[in-house]
Amino acid sequence: MDTKVSGSQELFNEVIDTELCALCGACVGGCPYLVPYKGRIVLLDNCTLSEGQCYQYCPRTYTDMNAISQQIFGVPYGEDEVGTTKEVLMARSTDAQIRGRAQYGGTVTALLSLALAEGLIDGAILAKMSDDKIPSAFLAQSMEEILQCAGSSYMACPILEAYNHIPKDNNHKLGIVTMPCQILAISKMKKEPPQNRFSINNVKLVIGLFCTWALSPEGFYQFLRENLDLPQVTKFDIPPPPANRFDAYTPSGKVSFSLDQIRQFTLPTCAYCLDMTSEFADVSVGSVEGIEGWNTVIVRTDAGAELMEMAKAEGKLETDTLPPQNLAHLKEAALLKKKRALKEIIKRSGDKKNLLYLGLSESMVDKLLA
Amino acid sequence: MAGIEIDAPGTSQLFIGNEAIARGALEAGIGFAAAYPGTPSSEIIGSLASVARKMNIYVEWSVNEKVAMEAAAGASFAGIRALAAMKQNGINVISDFLVNLVMSGIGKGGLVLISCDDPSAISSSNEQDTRPIAKWLDIPLVEPGNFQEAKDMTRWLFDLTEEMGTICMLRSVTRIAHARGNVKLGELSKKEQKAYFDQIYDVRKAMPTTFMPVPSSLRHAFLHQKLDKAREKFELSSFNQYVGPDKADLLIITCGSCWLYSQDAVKALKLEDKVGILKLGTLWPLPEKFVEKHLNKSKQILFVEEIDPFLERSVMELVANLPPTSPRPTFYGKRSGHINAYGELNPDMVIKAITGIMGLTYQPRGIDYGKKAEEVAKSYVPERSITFCAGCPHRATFWAIKNTLKLDGRDGFVTGDIGCYSMALGPAGFFQARTMHCMGGGTGVANGLGKLGQFGFNQPVLAVVGDSTFYHATIPALINGIYNQSNFILVILDNNATAMTGFQPHPGTGMTAMGEPAKVVSMEALCHSLGARVEVCDPFDLKGTTATLLEMVAEGGGAKVVVMRRECELVRGRKEKHPYKVYVDPDKCIGEACGCDRLCTRAFLCPGLIWDKKTDKSKIDEVICTGCGVCVDICPQGAIIKEAA
Amino acid sequence: MTAKQLMKDPLNLIITGVGGQGNVMISLIIGNALVKEGYLVTIGETYGASQRGGPVMSHVRISGETQYSPFIPDGHADIILGMEPVETLRMLRRFGNPDVITIINPRPIYSIDVTGGEAEYPDLDKLVETIKELSAKTWIIDATEEAQKMGNPIFANVILIGALIRSDVLPLDKKAVEPILRETFPKEIEANMTAFSKGMELIRQ
Repeated sequence: MDTKVSGSQELFNEVIDTELCALCGACVGGCPYLVPYKGRIVLLDNCTLSEGQCYQYCPRTYTDMNAISQQIFGVPYGEDEVGTTKEVLMARSTDAQIRGRAQYGGTVTALLSLALAEGLIDGAILAKMSDDKIPSAFLAQSMEEILQCAGSSYMACPILEAYNHIPKDNNHKLGIVTMPCQILAISKMKKEPPQNRFSINNVKLVIGLFCTWALSPEGFYQFLRENLDLPQVTKFDIPPPPANRFDAYTPSGKVSFSLDQIRQFTLPTCAYCLDMTSEFADVSVGSVEGIEGWNTVIVRTDAGAELMEMAKAEGKLETDTLPPQNLAHLKEAALLKKKRALKEIIKRSGDKKNLLYLGLSESMVDKLLA
Repeated sequence: MAGIEIDAPGTSQLFIGNEAIARGALEAGIGFAAAYPGTPSSEIIGSLASVARKMNIYVEWSVNEKVAMEAAAGASFAGIRALAAMKQNGINVISDFLVNLVMSGIGKGGLVLISCDDPSAISSSNEQDTRPIAKWLDIPLVEPGNFQEAKDMTRWLFDLTEEMGTICMLRSVTRIAHARGNVKLGELSKKEQKAYFDQIYDVRKAMPTTFMPVPSSLRHAFLHQKLDKAREKFELSSFNQYVGPDKADLLIITCGSCWLYSQDAVKALKLEDKVGILKLGTLWPLPEKFVEKHLNKSKQILFVEEIDPFLERSVMELVANLPPTSPRPTFYGKRSGHINAYGELNPDMVIKAITGIMGLTYQPRGIDYGKKAEEVAKSYVPERSITFCAGCPHRATFWAIKNTLKLDGRDGFVTGDIGCYSMALGPAGFFQARTMHCMGGGTGVANGLGKLGQFGFNQPVLAVVGDSTFYHATIPALINGIYNQSNFILVILDNNATAMTGFQPHPGTGMTAMGEPAKVVSMEALCHSLGARVEVCDPFDLKGTTATLLEMVAEGGGAKVVVMRRECELVRGRKEKHPYKVYVDPDKCIGEACGCDRLCTRAFLCPGLIWDKKTDKSKIDEVICTGCGVCVDICPQGAIIKEAA
Repeated sequence: MTAKQLMKDPLNLIITGVGGQGNVMISLIIGNALVKEGYLVTIGETYGASQRGGPVMSHVRISGETQYSPFIPDGHADIILGMEPVETLRMLRRFGNPDVITIINPRPIYSIDVTGGEAEYPDLDKLVETIKELSAKTWIIDATEEAQKMGNPIFANVILIGALIRSDVLPLDKKAVEPILRETFPKEIEANMTAFSKGMELIRQ
C-alpha cells in the first residue's frame, strides 16, 4: 500500500482549490496555518513542511478503503452496499422531550445521553446551530448541551476542528456524531494516529449520519437569510423522496422550497462520495422512509452493539424490525450513490485507473460499476 | 561632550555635519528654525531645539516641510533670521512655495534653506539630487566639503541672503550630515532680535512692502540680476580652492563629500604630485572665471560628485561657450561611465576611476588575503535584514492585518507610506504593503482604488500611515475619501512618536520640539468630526484587532478609520521596565513538527525569538526580548509563557 | 597631545555591530577623547533604517594632519572592534588586511534571515577561528556576558572601550577617556567606570 503524504501546498492544489474539499475540518485547528472561515478553508501563513497531518487525514487525499475496512472491521471493503453490518433495525427514543427536539426518532440524542450518563464518554463533538442557524462545532458535556445540538442544518460544518483543538494531554473519552466524510477522516486517524494531538484512542464512540449531500454554508446560508427570518426557524427537514422538498418549520407554519432550487448549493465534492450510510461508524443513523418519527439504525462494531444493547436494556430506546422493503430500498439507494460517484470520479479523471482520492481495487470498481 | 551652544570660540569640537550647520546658524544669530523630521536632516532642528530656550530662539517641528518653509519665510518677512531644513523629499514638498518665494524675495531677515540628500537612499524611499532644483529655480547654491565648511557656509549664507534679498540653499549629503569631524568654533551671536513686519521696506516704492511673485516676468528679471551679483561674490569665495601641481596628469573637479573621497583616493595612490583637485563650494551660479582659470591645468578632467552630473554639465556648458582656441580637455565622469550616475560614492570608486584613466594598478592588500577573505565570507556571513524592533506594535498590527485579509479572502492589500512601517513591504511586516511612494501617498492611492467598484473591483484596501504621517499629509486625502465615498480603511499606527527619524514629537504627542507641553490634536476626534467611523484598537490584542478589522472590511461604504494605539517600544523602554518576563517551555515547544513548523521564529519573525539548533526548539534571546508578551498569543502549543516582571 | 603616539597616520578604526547595541556611543566617546588630545578625527556612521536590527558600522579616521573622509578605503582597516561576530567578519572581508588588529565580543545576534530559516548562522567556534586567521592579532572579550553580570547588557559598549584603551592600539589612556565618560554619563558614572575597568582587566587575560 502506497500512501504518499504531502503538505499544505499540495492539499490546496489537489483538494481545496479543486472543489474536492468537503469542509470536514480534519485539516484545521491543529496548527496555526489552516483555519475555517465562512465556508472556506483559509491558509493564514505558508507552512514549509512537505508532509503534514492536514494532508494525511484529509478524506479527499489518497484513501485506501480496504486498509481502513480491515483496520476497523477486519474485513475487506465493499462486501455490503450499506457497509459492514452487525444488525439493521428501527429505533426511537422513549423520552418525549428528546423526541420533541429530534430530527426524526431522537436515537442519536438518546444514545449520546446514555453514553454520557454511563461514563462511556465524557463529552461529544456535535454540530450546533446558533440562533441564526449557523452551524459550528460544539463540545457537549451534559444532557442539556446535547439536546441543544439536536436537529440538522444540512450545511457542511468543519466540526473536526474541535477535535484538533482539544489539548493533547487531555485524557477524557470522546464521542463524535458526524457525516461520512468526517468519519472517513477519523478512520484515517485511527489507522495512523495523529502526533501532538488529542489521542485518537480516546475517541470511544463514533455515530454516523446518513448523507446524500451537504449544502454550502456560504451560498446556502445566504439563500436562507434572504428567504427566512432565521431566528424564528425551529427545524429544517428534507423529507425522503418523493417529496423533493426542503422544509423550514416556524411558529407560524412550514415554509417549503423545491429541492430543485436548493441543489445548486450542494458541495461539488459530494458528487464524488461513495458513502451514504457512514460505513465506518460504530452506529449509523438515518430516517425511515414512509415512517415518521423513527430512525433506521445500522449497528456495525462491538462498541456500537454494546451501547445499543444497553440502551434497549435500560429502556432508553424502543426498537423494531426494519421492514424488508425499507432495507432493500436503502441498499439500492446506497449502491446507486456508489455507482454515480464512481462514474463522476472517472469522468473527472478521464481514466478508470485514476480514482482521484479513492483507493479501490480494479475488481471492486468493476463490481460496483456492473 | 560639547553642545552646539558652547561658548568657546577658537576651540575644536567633534560635531556631525548637522550640528555644524546648527552651530553656524547660532553664530549667525538665527532667531527662527523649522523643519519636519527627515533623515539625514533631523539633527539640525533637533540640536537647535535642545538649546532653544537657553539661546532665546524659536525652534519647531512643523507638521510638514511646506509649513516649515512657509513659517521660516514668515519670520524672514518680519526681519528675523530664519532657517528651514529638510531631506530631499522635503524640497519636493516645498517646491510650489519656493517658486513663488524666489519671485517675491525674502524679508529683512536672512533666510537659509538646508537640503540634505541621501545618495543610495540609505534611509529614503528614493534617491534624488536636489542641486539641479536650485539651478532650475534660480536659487544660489553652496555645498560644504567638510564639517568646518558646513558651519562656515551656514554662517555666511545669512549675510549673503540678506544682502541679495533672496533665499539661498546649502546642499548636504548623509556622509557630511551624519559623519563627525573637527569644527573650530566661532563667536556666538549676542545680537538681540526684534520682529516687525516692516510696512515700508523700500522707500522708493509707492506701495508698502508686499511679498508676492507678481508681476512675474519683471520679478524674474530682477531675480537674474540677483544671481549675477551672487556669481560675482562666488568668484572670490575661499570655499573654492585648488590643491595640486601646476601641470597635472589629471585634474579632479569635485564638491561636497566627494572632495574628501578624492583626497583620500589621491593619498592612497600617492599621486599628490600628479593629480590636482579643484574643489568648488559655491556651485550655482558657477564661478566661471575661477573655473576657467584652472581648466588648463590638465588635458584630462575627472568630475567626482553625487548624484547627478550637475557640476559636470555646468562646466561642459562653460567650455562649450569658450572661444574655439581655448583648451578642450578630455572629460571623464558620469557621462563617460568612470563614475556612477547613481548611488553614493566612496574613496574606492574614485581610486578605480583614477587608476582606470591613468592606467595604473592598485592592490591595497595581498592577493592571497583578499581571496581568502572573500571565500570564507561567502559562507560565514549571513544577511542581516532590517526589521521591526522586538516589542514593536507594528509587528502585531501587520500580523492582525495579514490574518484579516486572508480570512476575508478577497485578495485585500495595503497601500503603504513612509516611516518604520514602510518595512511592511518586506518580511518584517509579512509583505502586506504593496505600494509606497511619498508622505501621504498611500492614502491618496487608496482613494483611487476605493472608487473602482463600478469596474468590478472588490478587493479590500487598507491605507496604513503612521501618526506623524497622518498630521503631515493624510488629512486632505481622508477628507477626499469621506466626501467622495471611497471604499478604503485608513489605519493609523499611533505609536506616539515620529519613530524612524528619531522619536521627534508631533501634534499627537503633547510635546513641542522645545520640550514644552502642547495641546494634543486628537486624531480620532478629528477623524470623527470629519464624519468617518472611527475605531481605536490595541494592536497587542491580536484577537480583538483582527475581529474589528474583519468587520470593518466586510462593511464596505466610504472611508473609515482605525487607530492602532500603542507606544513605540524604544520610547516606552526608556521610561519603564519590561512588562513581562517571557520564556519558552521546551517541553511544550514542538518546533519544526506538524502543528507548528516554527511559527514564532520562521513566520512571526520577532528578533527576540531565536532557534536553538542543539535542542531544535525556540528560545527567547534575553538581550533582545523586551517582554511585550505578544508571542504568547501566537504559539499554537501554549509553549511561550509570560510572567509579570 | 599625550605622550602616546599614533601607530600610523591615518589610523583607521572600525567599530561594528548591530543596530541597538550602542555602537555609536563608543565612537562618540573615543572620538571626543581624541579631539581633546588635538587629533583630527572623522567618524562615518550609518544611521536611520539600519538601526532597526540592521548592521551598523562606524569608521573612525584618526590623523595628526588631515581631515579624512568618513569612509575607510577597502583593505585599509588598522583596528576592528566587533560587537557581534558575523558583523566582525563582514568588516574583515572588505576592510581587513594581514596587519589588522581585531577585538571581538563573541556574542551572536541572530538576524530574522537566520531565525526565519532563510540563512544559516555559522558555527561560533569556526567563526572566531576565521576571524583569527584574517587578523594579525585577536582579542576575545566577553563583553555582553560581563555586562549581564553587571545587570544590563548595554554596559557591553563601555567594557569594550576599556578593552580598546588597554590594548594600546589608540593614542589614548584612561586619563584621557575618563572625563569624557563623566560628561556622557553624569548620572551613572560609577557603574560605567566599573564597566570600563572591567574591560581593561579583560584585555590582559
